[in-house]
Amino acid sequence: MSIDKSELQDAARKAFATDVRCADTAQVLNQIVGLGWLGICVPEDLGGLGLGREAQAVIHFELGRILGPGSLAAHLAIIDALVAAERTDLLETALAGEFMTASMRLETGTVTAGTISGRFHAVPDADRAQAILVAASDRIILLPLSLPDIAIAESRMWDQTRRFFEVTLHRVPVNAGATLASGKAASRMWDALNSTLLRAIAADSLGGADATLQMTLGYLGVRRQFDRLLAMFQALKHRCADMKTALASAEALLWADAGQYDVGLGCDVTGVGAMKGHATRVYHQVVEEAVQLHGGIGLTEEHDCHRFLKRALLNGVLGGRADIWEEALGRRMLAA
Amino acid sequence: MPEDPLKRYRAEVREWMALNAPRDWREHSTDPEAFLRIQRDWFAKLVDGGYAVPHWPADWPGGGRSLAEQKVIYEEMARADCPRLLLSFVSTYHAACTIMEWGTEAQQTRFLPAILAGETWCQGFSEPGAGSDLASLRTKAERRGNVYIVNGQKIWSTVAQYADKCLLLARTSHEPARQAGMTFLLCDIKTPGVSVRPINQIHGDEEFAEIFFDDVEVPVTERLGEEGQGWAVAQATLASERGLTLLELSQRLRGALWRVAKQIEDGGGSQDKGLLRDYGRLVVDVEATCALADQYLTWRIAGEEQVGQASLIKLRYARVLRNFTMLGLRLEDYAGQIHSPITFGGGMETGNWMADFMNSYAWTIAGGSDEIQRNIISERLLGMPREPKSWTLTGAKA
Repeated sequence: MSIDKSELQDAARKAFATDVRCADTAQVLNQIVGLGWLGICVPEDLGGLGLGREAQAVIHFELGRILGPGSLAAHLAIIDALVAAERTDLLETALAGEFMTASMRLETGTVTAGTISGRFHAVPDADRAQAILVAASDRIILLPLSLPDIAIAESRMWDQTRRFFEVTLHRVPVNAGATLASGKAASRMWDALNSTLLRAIAADSLGGADATLQMTLGYLGVRRQFDRLLAMFQALKHRCADMKTALASAEALLWADAGQYDVGLGCDVTGVGAMKGHATRVYHQVVEEAVQLHGGIGLTEEHDCHRFLKRALLNGVLGGRADIWEEALGRRMLAA
Repeated sequence: MPEDPLKRYRAEVREWMALNAPRDWREHSTDPEAFLRIQRDWFAKLVDGGYAVPHWPADWPGGGRSLAEQKVIYEEMARADCPRLLLSFVSTYHAACTIMEWGTEAQQTRFLPAILAGETWCQGFSEPGAGSDLASLRTKAERRGNVYIVNGQKIWSTVAQYADKCLLLARTSHEPARQAGMTFLLCDIKTPGVSVRPINQIHGDEEFAEIFFDDVEVPVTERLGEEGQGWAVAQATLASERGLTLLELSQRLRGALWRVAKQIEDGGGSQDKGLLRDYGRLVVDVEATCALADQYLTWRIAGEEQVGQASLIKLRYARVLRNFTMLGLRLEDYAGQIHSPITFGGGMETGNWMADFMNSYAWTIAGGSDEIQRNIISERLLGMPREPKSWTLTGAKA
């Protein structure tokens, strides 16, 4: 990429330099639109920045650090799909910040007699989005959310850093322009969409884990008991070292997958899913320890610990649990 | 566009390995004599081919290779599943790097070419009472005219029973700070008064030995650095190998994943969801370790290395190796409990799962235990407060 990874990281950290609890969805989205980062992976001749997967991972990593809005992952994945489908008309509106959303559980619907039906969970910010992307039968379809026969209901989540909706489609007519791809092209697009979403969740998880570890180190460095800082206890230092080690190798795997490194788990959905599974396991490990190491304050609503904890547990199930991807990878490797 | 020179170099190394790497060596390495023969032949071949000492300066045959090129060599060695250079390792890294940095011209001329000819070195640092706390070592070297008289005991010296020479760290005076008062000597193992006893390890191999020094005379001319400067010299020894071994080892771990897969298939478990899951998880762990080792080397090449990053890889690799061998052993079930002979020098993953599992402790204990690595990571990378130093606890008693 023409801009260095650490430069982009610095830029994102500066742009998102906001207190976690104050992270305002609209404000963060406006910043991202303003910086042109919606088009981070879009070729320059189509109005984007023409950077690679790694750049996209950097943005999600930094958003993870501030518990940023969930709609970005879906929206950026859809923008990739619009590029692949050569839908410049839709791409233009998407880049201008007209939000599009999709299920982060990778759910699919069914098409019968020119209509589509299905129930989609974990759809971020569906009330503010203009359109929803769904996979049904052998097609990828983008539907305006304003159509009749589309019902939207907010799901009250434990994790309140994201707003998720349940979207129900009941025999919604599909007109010709709505289909982005069909047949083999649709299954390729679906795999690419899933990979992009899974990478986004992985990067978000490791950014969150990094912020949680920093927050924990900060606390251990000021809290005194028995006339000394908690950070002086070797038992606690060693647990922090284990968190750092797990995080460093999961990050190395993420950046390897994002393009620095030619081997790794493979770039098919299974490989990316297993990578995401690993990242969420590490996020889980770090937040679980973080709450414990914060002691009583970690159990309070006012402290940020629980926000990371809840987001980590949600990330663990979005896009498929780690054990499901691990089984799929084991099967693939055994067959190889 | 001109071809990437590193790619060209890789092709060259791969071709050389295909022609020269020993095959079937695992089958023949059934005793220490066979191990020695295999190791010596392979090292000599690598010296001829110019791949034995890529990290040495360019005026040596096969030297002057960049870190990126060294990485290629180790990756290709792992790929070819050739024997790891166990016998010559301390010689070409620890001994050579320390002598190059601290040795006089006479010392360099005398010792370095001999290493390429096959002279074997071992390291005499750890003692029964000085393991993780190396600065508490007590082996004594007393100056008497032109010689030092050495008395004491060293332990955990890899391949010392086959060695010709020893890097010896001994105490020449008692100072309040215990790192002071140490002197670095180069000792011929054949000197009267030196005796070496191999240590039988729990899995049946003898990779380490104890060395006893009983009024051993070491000429003053075979001292590295000044008297009392030993701790500083020893830092060169300890820093001589960073990263490449773990890169090679994690590549070898990746290359040996098939052994676990085969164990699953042989046991009829290829449709067992639980086992597939365990295997998939292991694959991810191995890949993450490889990625970390690779990233570390990228940092080093870019000059962005931080103290403590090497500890991340060692800690990570050691844990994953333990998981790897444990999964193999679990899959083997009762059959794994029946004793079977080991492959000498066969590496960390030979498929003799019980032996491999026990041997995996080598990486959680040797070369700075997991606990020491955690200290380093928390203090140097995470900036947490340092552990109190031993001499500040024991005061003047040291």
